[in-house]
Amino acid sequence: MILIGELSLWVALLMATWSATVSFAGGRMGRADLVASGERATYATFAFVLLSSIGLWSALLSSDFSLRYVASYTSANLPAVYKFSAFWGGQQGSMLFWCLILALYAAIALYANRRRNRELMPYVTGTLAIVQIFFLATTAFGANPYARLDWIPPDGTGLNPQLQNPGMATHPPMLYLGYVATAIPFAFAIGALVSRRLDAEWLGAVRRWSLVSWLFLTIGITLGMWWAYVELGWGGYWAWDPVENASLLPWLTGTAFLHSIMIQEKRGMLRKWNVTLVVSTFLLSILGTFITRSGVIESVHSFAQSPVGSWFAGFLVVAIAVTAYLVTTRLKDLEARAELESMVSREAAFLYNNVVLVGIAFSVLWGTLFPIISEAVRGSKITVGPPFFNTVNIPLGLLLLALTGVGPLIAWRRASIANLKRQFAVPAAGGVTLGVALFALGMRDGYALVSYTLAGFVATTIVQEFVKGVGARRRMHREAVPLAFVRLVARNRRRYGGYIVHLGVVVLFAAFAGLAFKKEYDLALAPGGTFTAVDPYNRTWTFTSQGVSRYEELNRQVTAVVLEAKHGSAPPTLIKSEKRQHVDSRGVPTFEPSTEVGILESLRQDVYLVLHGVTGEETAEVRISFNPLVWWVWYGGMIMALGGLIVMWPQATRAGARRAEGGYVVTLQPQRAERERVDAGV
Amino acid sequence: MPTRREFVLALGAVVATGRRAGAQQGGTIPGATMAGDGYVPVRLPPKAGATSKLTDLERDAVERRLSCPCPCTLDVFTCRTSMPCGFSPRMHADVVSLVNGGYTANEITAAFEQAYGEKILMAPRAEGFNWVGWLAPFAAVGGGAVVVSALIRRWGRRAAEHRTASPVPIEATDDELARLEAAVRGEDR
Repeated sequence: MILIGELSLWVALLMATWSATVSFAGGRMGRADLVASGERATYATFAFVLLSSIGLWSALLSSDFSLRYVASYTSANLPAVYKFSAFWGGQQGSMLFWCLILALYAAIALYANRRRNRELMPYVTGTLAIVQIFFLATTAFGANPYARLDWIPPDGTGLNPQLQNPGMATHPPMLYLGYVATAIPFAFAIGALVSRRLDAEWLGAVRRWSLVSWLFLTIGITLGMWWAYVELGWGGYWAWDPVENASLLPWLTGTAFLHSIMIQEKRGMLRKWNVTLVVSTFLLSILGTFITRSGVIESVHSFAQSPVGSWFAGFLVVAIAVTAYLVTTRLKDLEARAELESMVSREAAFLYNNVVLVGIAFSVLWGTLFPIISEAVRGSKITVGPPFFNTVNIPLGLLLLALTGVGPLIAWRRASIANLKRQFAVPAAGGVTLGVALFALGMRDGYALVSYTLAGFVATTIVQEFVKGVGARRRMHREAVPLAFVRLVARNRRRYGGYIVHLGVVVLFAAFAGLAFKKEYDLALAPGGTFTAVDPYNRTWTFTSQGVSRYEELNRQVTAVVLEAKHGSAPPTLIKSEKRQHVDSRGVPTFEPSTEVGILESLRQDVYLVLHGVTGEETAEVRISFNPLVWWVWYGGMIMALGGLIVMWPQATRAGARRAEGGYVVTLQPQRAERERVDAGV
Repeated sequence: MPTRREFVLALGAVVATGRRAGAQQGGTIPGATMAGDGYVPVRLPPKAGATSKLTDLERDAVERRLSCPCPCTLDVFTCRTSMPCGFSPRMHADVVSLVNGGYTANEITAAFEQAYGEKILMAPRAEGFNWVGWLAPFAAVGGGAVVVSALIRRWGRRAAEHRTASPVPIEATDDELARLEAAVRGEDR
């Protein structure tokens, strides 16, 4: 199976090369046979990459330590689920994983467009094949997971203990699914630019794939935060690490695109800007991968420094050059077909939203790269850590939160003063009331107060929009409130799904602001020893040590401390934190000791216990933190993902319903519309 | 001061050679002790009649301003209290010794900066070239907002001109009109 897997990698590379060559040639020469051959080669590429992946999975699961990759990232006693997830745990495997996702996406995109966008598809296929060639070639020549060892070790090194966590089994695949999905809109943008078909047609496919990318990045980033919080033991979920930042960059530009595309769809404007955003989102994904894999920037996540970094740098330069050439030679085709009429319009609010989103992306990228720039200019090394990113991004984030509320309240084209008064009165009152109430209750942190005031404002705008929509349905259709609500969302998924995403953003900001009130205590407790602490809500907690225990588990030696936590009249709860020393199948320690935190979770706050170490026989040195509202971060992420899912869920195309709701239907291309109805089986 | 050409060449060289900005060595696993120890003891003689001028919270705040040289990318306080490596506990001991020696927070930070260089600070000092780093994001957003505002004003003026030139109201979006025009001309087949 290993041999088949290795050979499949090379055959996939050949297939992708064929696909790129004949697709571009077919598109240029108008030869349908070549275009069809290119598409078949793309499907074949997927089949061979899948075969290659199965080969590596079989080696990982059967602990074939003749492969360097298997010996480096697994051990015989590693649980099967982590042997499986070791596929993306190291440089070489994750490269193959990237190839697999790209091949899968390319096959899906081609199949979904087998009868649509036919003029673009040769170039889309060709572009995807070129991206695939790059990844397959980098895998085969620079990071081959099938590289053999000269001798077969009795056991492998094992997987980093901090990667042996459900979060790490799911977080990287989600991020990769998000990163790689940016390649499809990029390919469509290149296809549209090459073929000069820059009308609204290509946007349909691009929007759906951009949403796929956005959704997976949202889930991946949230899972990453959760993993950092429960596994790393430093009590936070976002450290502004360069690799974390790299995942945020395409998310930010992708979010900007999902807003600005609405202006192009409705008004035919911002064509250049949208192409730029689509391309930037893909290039930022590649840049993120370059940062992760080159070692050019210091990061806790970085793979070891490897030649793969220069491959990515080269690809990035070529991609930027080609795209810049295509955009500059097609500026006339990208001219807007309408003009924005007023500063007080939804289009303007979306544009400012884009400025802030792209501005935050710039500040994150700037902060990430500034150590390199500073070293090049001044010759001295500096660190750009959380103090920089928080100082710069908190005000920008709050500005973005404010715009999240403002956008939906302003009418398209031009809003009147009366319209503004009517729309803003209740949300503004909601935000100010919440802010004043929190101040009266004793909240004095400036950023937190502003954050909650804005959160109140945005939440009220969302509620107002739903109340209006449900009310209208009830009046028109005499529906009960729950039915009206469901149908309101179902009949206008983009709009109301978007509001649900905004609600998730509000919840996230409220949770972020909660960390301003975090409280921490460092202490040492002998068995039976007691410590009293006050939480951010001024409640008194008592912690009593139940002693330290030492025992062995599957692939680790564990030292654990258990505390009994009690507050008020609530029944006492036990909370445990561990230090783990992982060992291989011969009992030899494999990695530095890792920490397993203990968390007493609630919606109000987490009680977070970290065992630092044990002095003497049984005195545990621990850190207890009260982290307010952390669970709302995960809920916020989930709400955003749910909203994204609603937005991207296919809307049933019922001509009758559209006519009834829209008032009129204009069919510009009856033949095409008829063909699409036949394709859809209507 | 390097010339622009020297700057571009230096930047290109840094990127092309894949050189790290930091002194990252050894493993990339959080908590891993760096091979080839880069620890620099920061010890100063206690001040005369020295008493501690900092509370524990203020001492922790000093440690939060210092970057741990291990690959964790965390500050000394967070590293030593969560994923202690070969550095942060020793740096903590140095901080404690300086606190007990009667040094203030700024003096302790300066002593670490002298021993390790500016890289030991979690964020660059707001001085000299570092101002570029601190201000560029705000300049970018501010500049972007100014450009967008100017564009909207210009577009608004043009749209007003078009409105006066076209007295018949049209009930279709601009994109629909564009597609209609393309269909009429037979371009969109």
